[in-house]
Amino acid sequence: MRAETLKGHLDGILLAVLEPGPRHGYAIMEALRDRSAGQVDLPTGTIYPALHRLERAGLVQASWSVVGGRRRRVYELTPAGRRSLDTERGAWRDFSAAVTALLQPVPLAVNPR
Amino acid sequence: MNRLGAPGAPCAQEAVEGYLAEVTARLPGPARARSDIVAELRSGLLDATDAHCCAGLPAAEAVHAAIGEFGDPAEIADGFRTEIAASLARRAAVAVLVTGPLVGVLWIVTAVASHIAPHLQWADLSLGLRVGIALVVIAAGVTACGAIFGIAATGRLTRWLPARPRLAPAAAAVAGFGAVGADALGLALLAVQLVTAAGRLSPGLAAMAAAASIGRVAFAGRAARRCLAIRSSLT
Repeated sequence: MRAETLKGHLDGILLAVLEPGPRHGYAIMEALRDRSAGQVDLPTGTIYPALHRLERAGLVQASWSVVGGRRRRVYELTPAGRRSLDTERGAWRDFSAAVTALLQPVPLAVNPR
Repeated sequence: MNRLGAPGAPCAQEAVEGYLAEVTARLPGPARARSDIVAELRSGLLDATDAHCCAGLPAAEAVHAAIGEFGDPAEIADGFRTEIAASLARRAAVAVLVTGPLVGVLWIVTAVASHIAPHLQWADLSLGLRVGIALVVIAAGVTACGAIFGIAATGRLTRWLPARPRLAPAAAAVAGFGAVGADALGLALLAVQLVTAAGRLSPGLAAMAAAASIGRVAFAGRAARRCLAIRSSLT
């Protein structure tokens, strides 16, 4: 799945990946791949600016820490990030339900003569 | 595991640093703003390399796979350019907004101590001084509006604002140039007072206020020019 396809949903997806607990950049990328069964496979470098944007918006907070002997920037959800994730989920359910309903095949109308 | 950075993998190390240099060369702003970004990308590249090593690739191939996975350096730099611009704009706006009242109070104390306005009555001032002070107030107002907008457009409010990356550096540049205008006007008023009423001036306070304004003109001017430069690099 390409970045353009995910446009507008990447923020919510990143928040969802961070919901279980803090992760560093590459672990976030691996979680994206695992949870989407490989369907979401963005260039890894592109998620870092997105994470910085979420941090600036106060939806995640980042701190440097040493994990596994390597200094890493670890991200975790803020309370505002959890609220935003709930909102994104609700909006996605409504959107996907509406699009699913619209894409359903409809039996052809019988033309009365 | 054949980890990157271990003896025997100098080529891999060079490849990582070469890739990071390509990203860095495309990032705007001061080196300090870029160093944390580069450090984070480096640790991510090393993680990716480790992952490929664990999957069975030799170190040299693992690092090239990691670099390929990270993507085009230009694309990464484009993504970060907006963030660096926002960070620079925010720092400039905060600095200008915080220093404004401090310098302003210094000038007011100088004016009062110098008996330029004996009873703090507007009518006591000469016409030239009144016009000058009015212009300073207008410039300070423009500065404050630009700075507040710049801070709002780069912080938590961005959740609800439309994504317009060029706005914040523009607002911060307005704030910076506004501060330059306000302080330059203050210095000009001081120069006039030195010519017309030097005897009444409190020299110590006037020197402090002048030094503070000169410093603010220098830093606000530099910050405003940087914000304009980074704004023009955004699409």
